[in-house]
Amino acid sequence: MARITCAALTKKYGQVLAVDALDLTIGHGEFMVLLGPSGCGKTTTLNMIAGLEEITAGRLSFDDTEVTWTPPHKREVAMVFQSYALYPNKTVRENIAFPLRLRRQPSAEIDRAVAAAAEQLEITHLLSRRPNELSGGQRQRVALGRAIVRQPAVFLMDEPLSNLDATLRLSMRGLIKRLHQELKATFVYVTHDQAEAMTLADRIAVMRGGLIQQLDTPEGIYERPANLFVAGFLGSPPINLVEGVIEGGAFTRGDWRLPLATPPEEGRPVVLGLRPEDVVARTPGLPQIDARVVLVSPLGSETHLDVLAAGGIPLTLRVPKDWRAAVGDSIGFGIDPARLHVFDKASELRL
Amino acid sequence: MKRPLAPRLTRGILLAFFSAIFVMYVFGPVAWLVSSSLQTEAQITGVPPNWLPPTPSLANFEAIFAASDRVVTYENRQAGEALTSTFLPSGAANLLPAMRNSLVVGAWVAVLNLLLSVTAAYAIAVIDFRGRRATLYVALATRVVPDIALVVPLFLVIRNLGLINSLGALVVTYLAITVPFTVFILISYFEGIPRDLYRAARIDGCGHGRALWHVYLPLSLPALVASVTFAFLTSWNEFVFALVLTQNVAAQTLPIIISGFIMDFTTSFSFVNAAGVIAIIPPVLMAVVFQRYIVSGLTAGAVKG
Repeated sequence: MARITCAALTKKYGQVLAVDALDLTIGHGEFMVLLGPSGCGKTTTLNMIAGLEEITAGRLSFDDTEVTWTPPHKREVAMVFQSYALYPNKTVRENIAFPLRLRRQPSAEIDRAVAAAAEQLEITHLLSRRPNELSGGQRQRVALGRAIVRQPAVFLMDEPLSNLDATLRLSMRGLIKRLHQELKATFVYVTHDQAEAMTLADRIAVMRGGLIQQLDTPEGIYERPANLFVAGFLGSPPINLVEGVIEGGAFTRGDWRLPLATPPEEGRPVVLGLRPEDVVARTPGLPQIDARVVLVSPLGSETHLDVLAAGGIPLTLRVPKDWRAAVGDSIGFGIDPARLHVFDKASELRL
Repeated sequence: MKRPLAPRLTRGILLAFFSAIFVMYVFGPVAWLVSSSLQTEAQITGVPPNWLPPTPSLANFEAIFAASDRVVTYENRQAGEALTSTFLPSGAANLLPAMRNSLVVGAWVAVLNLLLSVTAAYAIAVIDFRGRRATLYVALATRVVPDIALVVPLFLVIRNLGLINSLGALVVTYLAITVPFTVFILISYFEGIPRDLYRAARIDGCGHGRALWHVYLPLSLPALVASVTFAFLTSWNEFVFALVLTQNVAAQTLPIIISGFIMDFTTSFSFVNAAGVIAIIPPVLMAVVFQRYIVSGLTAGAVKG
């Protein structure tokens, strides 16, 4: 186990700032997900933790030991790559055994550790094959085996599931979660997939432009997004954003008047965030919005409605499958003010 | 639907015709070399030429291996009869020692070239340091200068080092020719190896030395074989530097000795051709042995294809 402390961690490529004075402490045995769009600095951060990228400025420590300048092979971290990165000239057995061989462990011990890892990942029958004889999912299991066989304190994962198809991704996600629970090691997991982040993470760091936008539990990130970017990045379909102003303690735009529980000061231009699922059927006592249905997308378990709300504002709604609606229908729906998100228009920060 | 017969026939004939020309062009000289090495002087110089040896004989080769037992002087060099190929050029006894020199120099050049180039190419291709591209370009730029322009300065340097007429002088000089090219070839090969494999190796516990040994070298076998072949052949064939930097049989290589036969007062074609056949045996053997190692696609399956 290890606690990872990044203090003002910075990476510059020439004049380009990839990671900007990042402060982050990842606790013992925590599953931390770095989430963000491509180019947000999440992989660079991971590579700095791994030692694969030189740190331009700042400090990196594992527990109380500074490792800022420690080369990767002396950091005792294991890593799983999007491309699997298996050694093509070695068999599966040799691939998994490789980190132990480099540490000159006795053969009997290596054989035992490889067998145990293979069993845990259910790849025992593949041990004599070479990587090019394996499917994508099998290759990623081998890569996981190569990582866990060392029993490292820190696991780093760089989009490990991005090359797999959807079904496989789901089962591998479960496998990784199970591994984390069994190994009790510190995991740092980079992804741009919000579903992976939400399901796997103890905490998520949402990144953009080399900065952490928000660091919180998955629920916290989803329920209380710190700014417009985080609000828009998580959620599928994405959150509805409507610009307006505060008048009389309510969000106002045209026909819209939504009283807010804790309204910001009068006259402030704001952006209202409404999650597609945060609409209810007409309920007395709740503010109501009228809309016309433009598109109906039944998904089986639920239905997505694209509507044009009063004032010509397009919204996407996520409603239970028993809401029957047809294109052209006029509907009304209620909104719980407690479920609304209000952001300052200028700073994009949550109010 | 099949193409009509006439165009297919034309195509076949044209292909066969140009293939034949190409093969004759490439193999003609070699075939004539081998054929004439089995003929007597009279048969070689006969008109019309004998494309195939009328009476194949290994007498020319015997002469080469017997040459060291005979002292050729001005008085007895005419004693042999040129027409029966008992005639020997004055330097004949040097042929086998020169071959030994060529082999020794070639082996050293091949080995040292590989050691130097592999480490240099790894550093430039894999390690990110300031001036890595410049390093390569400077090294390659030295090869733009024609060898002939470097002969005199190099001669002075080698002489001041006291290395004239030593095999070491040749090894050092040839390395200066082969290393830049080999580094260039290996860099492009190393850069074709997925970067994630390097990262994985570093994470798994490799320093640079072990990453090179365990990951890059096994995956670069074709390029390594090509490098060894290239270095050995360059050394084996080199003429200008060997001519200037060596003076006698202690260090002279095959091209120098064989060319000496031709510039002699009388040229023994039979003898020269037999020597030529012997001179092409090591490169040919090398090509035969190594060609089966030149397998591509070793990196297949490393990353998602």
